[in-house]
Amino acid sequence: MARYLDLYGLFLVQRFKILMEYRVNFLIGASSTIILQVSSLLTIWVVMSQIPSLNGWSYYEVLLIYGLITLAKSINHMFADNLWTIGRQYIRTGSFDRFLVRPINPLFHLLADRFCHDGIGNFLVGSVLVITATRQLNIPWSLNNVLYLVLMVLSGGLIFIALNLITGTTAFWIMDAVPIMRVVFDFHLFAQYPLSIYPRAVGILLTWLIPYGLASFYPASYLTDRSLGWVAWGAPFVAIILLILAYQVWKFGLKYYAGTGS
Amino acid sequence: MIQAIRRRTNIYGAMAGIVPKTFLAYSLWVWVSLFLNTITMTILVFFWKAVYADTGTIAGLDLQTTLTYILLAQIFLPLGDLSMIFEFGYSLREGGIAHALLRPVDFQGGFYVQYMTQTLTSLFLQIPMALVAWLVFGLRFPTDLQLWAVFILSAILGRTILFFFDWMLACLTFYTTEVWGLGVLVYGASLFFSGSLVPLAMLPGWLQTFALATPFAQALYVPLSLLTGITPLSQAPMVLLIQVILLITLGVLSRLFFRVAVRKVTVQGG
Amino acid sequence: MAIIETENLTKVYRTTRKDPGLRGSVKALFRPQIVDKLAVDRISFHVEPGEMVGYIGVNGAGKSTTIKMLTGILVPTSGQVRILGRDPHRQRVDNARQIGVVFGQRTQLWWDLALIESLNLIARIYEVDPARYKQLLDQFSETLELGELLRMPIRNMSLGQKMRAELAAALIHEPLVVYLDEPTIGLDLIVKERIREFIRQQNRDKGTTVILTTHDLGDIEELCQRVIIIDNGRLIYDGPITTIKARFGKYREITFETCQPVYQAIALPEGAHIVTNGYSPEDRKLVLRFDRTLTTASRVAHDVMDQVEVNDFSLTEPDLSSIVKQIYNGALLEETTS
Repeated sequence: MARYLDLYGLFLVQRFKILMEYRVNFLIGASSTIILQVSSLLTIWVVMSQIPSLNGWSYYEVLLIYGLITLAKSINHMFADNLWTIGRQYIRTGSFDRFLVRPINPLFHLLADRFCHDGIGNFLVGSVLVITATRQLNIPWSLNNVLYLVLMVLSGGLIFIALNLITGTTAFWIMDAVPIMRVVFDFHLFAQYPLSIYPRAVGILLTWLIPYGLASFYPASYLTDRSLGWVAWGAPFVAIILLILAYQVWKFGLKYYAGTGS
Repeated sequence: MIQAIRRRTNIYGAMAGIVPKTFLAYSLWVWVSLFLNTITMTILVFFWKAVYADTGTIAGLDLQTTLTYILLAQIFLPLGDLSMIFEFGYSLREGGIAHALLRPVDFQGGFYVQYMTQTLTSLFLQIPMALVAWLVFGLRFPTDLQLWAVFILSAILGRTILFFFDWMLACLTFYTTEVWGLGVLVYGASLFFSGSLVPLAMLPGWLQTFALATPFAQALYVPLSLLTGITPLSQAPMVLLIQVILLITLGVLSRLFFRVAVRKVTVQGG
Repeated sequence: MAIIETENLTKVYRTTRKDPGLRGSVKALFRPQIVDKLAVDRISFHVEPGEMVGYIGVNGAGKSTTIKMLTGILVPTSGQVRILGRDPHRQRVDNARQIGVVFGQRTQLWWDLALIESLNLIARIYEVDPARYKQLLDQFSETLELGELLRMPIRNMSLGQKMRAELAAALIHEPLVVYLDEPTIGLDLIVKERIREFIRQQNRDKGTTVILTTHDLGDIEELCQRVIIIDNGRLIYDGPITTIKARFGKYREITFETCQPVYQAIALPEGAHIVTNGYSPEDRKLVLRFDRTLTTASRVAHDVMDQVEVNDFSLTEPDLSSIVKQIYNGALLEETTS
């Protein structure tokens, strides 16, 4: 474990050396995600300034939900973006093989291979939103609340990674898994707004099946004193279960690859 | 003379014919994007229903008008698409521009035909989306033929305006290799200012004035606001006139831009 | 004990054939047409520590499939493979520490990183002792002339520079077994020679076992005492190069340049036959092959010159490449069956 953390640090340092070489690219990449968020945020602002609340959620409460899912997404974006490219970048070119002849875990190698700086933009947007929202809503930054937030954001990030790992593993069979990944990934868009605005089925789906809601709606409910019981604490548990499941799927994919080596 | 025209039509026809073929090659993507668009539609519909839960009208628009507008905007989204930048940037890197410049047709004309065909193909592929909007979300299409006629006219003008604008941006790729960043920036701007997420009528005064002046709005919001009655039909001549003026201005500018940019490529050898 | 052992190593690729288009995809989903392709067919061989073995065959003969099974990337369909007594797939990590791989065209290095950074990272991945690493780096820098390359990103390197970098990266953890796939492809003679020298040196000084797959038979002749030839997934020859040379070396070729094109039949001594004939005033070359055990060069030359006017003639001794060409053309099978 310590060895892997150590290695990850090294990979990260090297990655930043590359990024610093392409400084313009780095800045554009990191700010591109900010630009893409601006249009949605402008929409929320335009609309929310004309109505008192969205299904009982105030402007800043909506921003809190939006900020939380953006933070969780940014973790996936920064640390696990390579999952999108397994097929095109690694399997098709045959460079996946180099992970298999090295004495470290191939999944670790794949993820460590490219820290994605584009995610930094999302991270900044999410942070600004959550900080602004909590301040405006007078949510105290007590140790409890801060720890809760960190835990939820991390769990949310892991939920994103686990789901992408499950869908991304299909690349071993179909080479380009991006369409399939997108189908599941895009469900997180629902979790940008209060789940209570959707029909029950959507709420259940986003809580139990593709549980992005656990990373945004429920924590925001908890922080704004809408009691929802234990579901507000569901994210870490679900994240762990999903990760275990995803890793089994990944291992199954590896096994298939060892059989075909396409 | 007639023969020359026929020959030219054939060339343009062949160029146009390529587009749908390359499009349909990615059939999996067609289905997946249909699904993804349905997700977006669902979110928008429920979002707007929640927005209207406690209020009758926003900026004079009631829920029904807004929903109709939003659903139609999702269906006609291809009207606001930008593709030239990436295509230019790509062919510039692959050295394809030189090839294209050698073809015996007006370069911009050739691209325009492809642009419009691509738009038509994309719109055609939105038919399932329209069905979803109709069957699932209860979209009621306007039935007044006059509205449709004005809409089509305005859409063609708007799309052409966007083409010229896109073309000018694409010329920038002759100067910078940061095509991708530029593309993202413009895409981000187009998402909001085209009015695909929110009817621009809801924007506060100054922002609305600015938004309406963008080519993005001219391509999507302006025609759709005519179709949905957000802009009354009586104002149509004025709106169309503005579009024509914009079209001519941008058209002239885009040719100028291109001439300067090409000189740069030919002087420096790309 | 052998360092590499394979026993009836077999790999069958099971693929589903798909008709083009959406309909094809749907059909393939419900009723897949399964096609089996036998890529490697019951191959058995042992390699002793310190051996350098050339593994050759035409494209698609099963070379890279074998290498993938030896390195643990692929699992054999049946049969056994043991590297240092281990199953290279099941004990992938343990195996990976002891092997080095150079995959010809694909880089193992980080495209945008300076070579030295890539090497540092690899040394850490393989947990090379820092002091030893420094020592090796100096050594490699000298023999591979890495010097200024160390500061250069891989993307800026020429083909030859890249290959030198790859070799350094593949050997920096002092593996016991090294698999080299086309290490000299597309390189000029000087770089080729340097790379061969480096491999030779590693083998001599550290007893590194080398498996070399290549199209360049020069590499094999220069480096290997033993060669394994496979064709259509099957092992068709495994033995010393000298044996195969002696076996096929009994054939010699004589090339005549005749004054006039030769259209008529020529009577030849037993064991000689015509390989090519130009049949035109522009190309008046006549190439003959003869079996040295049945006849002699002077005999063949004498007979030919008796019947046609000859400008010039030359005698060539076949090199490995022409031998291999003969083998692929079925000479070995003919011989073993007859």
